[in-house]
Amino acid sequence: MNGSRPLRRIALALVAGSGLAVWAFPVLWGLLTSFKTERDVLAYPPVLVFTPTLDNYREVIFGASSIVPNLWSSFVVATAATLLTMLLAVPAGYALGRLRYPAKRASGFYVLATQMLPPVGLIIPYYLVLQKVGGLDTYGGLTVIYLTFSLPFAIWLLVSYFEDVPLEMEEAALLDRAGRLRTLWYVILPQVRGGIAVTTIFVFLNAWNEFMFAVVLGGNRVRPVTVAMFNFISVEQTQWARLAAGAMLAMAPVILIGIFAQRHIVKGLTVGAVKGGGRR
Amino acid sequence: MTGPGGVRLEGVVKRHGATTVLHGVDLAIEPGEFFVLLGPSGSGKTTTLRILAGLESVSAGRVLMDGADVTLQQPGERDVAMVFQSYALYPHMTVAQNIGFPLKMVRTARHDIERAVSAAAIKVGIGHLLQRTPGQLSGGQQQRCALARAIVRQPRLFLLDEPLSNLDAKLRLETRLELHRLQRSLGVTTVYVTHDQEEAMTLADRIAVFIDGRIVQVGTPREVYARPRTITVAGFIGTPPMNLIPGRWEGDAVIVGDERMPVATAGGPRAVMLGVRPGDLRIAERGLAAVVERIEDLGDSSILSFSAGDRLLKQKSDRLPAVREGETVRLDFAPETAHLFDPQSGGRL
Repeated sequence: MNGSRPLRRIALALVAGSGLAVWAFPVLWGLLTSFKTERDVLAYPPVLVFTPTLDNYREVIFGASSIVPNLWSSFVVATAATLLTMLLAVPAGYALGRLRYPAKRASGFYVLATQMLPPVGLIIPYYLVLQKVGGLDTYGGLTVIYLTFSLPFAIWLLVSYFEDVPLEMEEAALLDRAGRLRTLWYVILPQVRGGIAVTTIFVFLNAWNEFMFAVVLGGNRVRPVTVAMFNFISVEQTQWARLAAGAMLAMAPVILIGIFAQRHIVKGLTVGAVKGGGRR
Repeated sequence: MTGPGGVRLEGVVKRHGATTVLHGVDLAIEPGEFFVLLGPSGSGKTTTLRILAGLESVSAGRVLMDGADVTLQQPGERDVAMVFQSYALYPHMTVAQNIGFPLKMVRTARHDIERAVSAAAIKVGIGHLLQRTPGQLSGGQQQRCALARAIVRQPRLFLLDEPLSNLDAKLRLETRLELHRLQRSLGVTTVYVTHDQEEAMTLADRIAVFIDGRIVQVGTPREVYARPRTITVAGFIGTPPMNLIPGRWEGDAVIVGDERMPVATAGGPRAVMLGVRPGDLRIAERGLAAVVERIEDLGDSSILSFSAGDRLLKQKSDRLPAVREGETVRLDFAPETAHLFDPQSGGRL
């Protein structure tokens, strides 16, 4: 019996290690590539020992193909989409989770149904609409389009968190003369803050990583980093090392958010499993 | 008319779709009274309490407080405080913040809140726990915190929804006494919901017994126990519940099988349901033949189960009986302790 424990640990470590390796390999490969010259990148067989260079980073930060403006574009669009999404999704999620009103089921299904359409089928209509209203290649236009997928996602994620707050707590607050809005502010929101945090992070990451709408509906003025990276791939050649350096820079905020918000993310994801237990 | 703290329900009906939960409830609660709504699960007592709180609307009828119609008022407008079965404490706030919350919502000055919170907490014995959060409190302490939150703003009406049901047996007895003392010292009209008839008997000034969405009897605990108005109430109140034996009322006796059991009032001839409290049943020389099925020794008392034909009868005695399981005995009762009910309508005769 005693011998099986270390064995289990080793087996667990092996499984976890191989899972991690599968996930980490492209990232590490990209990281290595970002420090190589284009010649080293294309060397065959691949070289593992090489003289590292910061040229690629210098180029994608300060050079002619700098992606800094694109990082800024991504930041503006993702932040605006996240703020607007949360501003609308919190009250909507609360209403769907809690309030009794006519056609509640129908409206809930409608919100969900918008997620059922394949995004690629929406690009042309979106393009035509934005073109009509002058919204192509604008922060406003892209942000509004991002809302169309982030808002239903956020609402449905938040509904489950609101439903987890015991109804009696809300009734107690109403009896304590808090009124609906102050009940939401003082009693409900503090209890779903884990859920709000995790939803905010997911919405931001989705917007940050979005490519398809950005490449079609963006342009020279508003070009998120995902599109800019794509531009390193051209018919003549693919600038792998620069692409890797750009990818590393684009990933940095995502990884930072992941590290800082890890506690919230894990907590937020486990709440649904153990009802009410995770938020206390 | 009702005075300050008086509550009145007039013909209150509550429907959920096709289901009627309350069938025209009429009730008058006097100011300062400790009033208990007693009934089995699903009898409508909690719905009635929630209607008083304003958490449920009525389908028909009126709710009056201090003589004013509050039927359409929101919960926060009624000046009532409620202690929920789950306590409904705010988990992210400290005990002090929980207790002070109702005062904060009406923009009371900070030092006044602190004073009132401290006074309320001391009154319920949790003055030393103010900086803890509800998660750091025991069940009993959480219950006191909920009570303190209810009393802090001195409402005109307390509503308590089975507040002792989550406590263990010993703590329940202690808290019951404290609750009674607290209510007496504050003098606030209190409506208390429970399915535990012992709680109702010990706490209430008056009890309303709910069965299937109707109030079947209102009275003091003594009245309800001594003169249950229906067979259902008779079967619900008392531990163990009243023995109910079908028979035939002829003159000053009820004929059960071949036995003539004398009763205090003469009547009949007619079919009747004879009710005898377990404490009033005696082992005697003459009477109904029954076999001792089981003797339960409770230490200070004992409960005997008998089978008399296809009926199971219970006797409660304050001493161990001199009979053995399997023995055949005779059972009778003092004529004045018999209760007679109409077997058809269930009403008292």
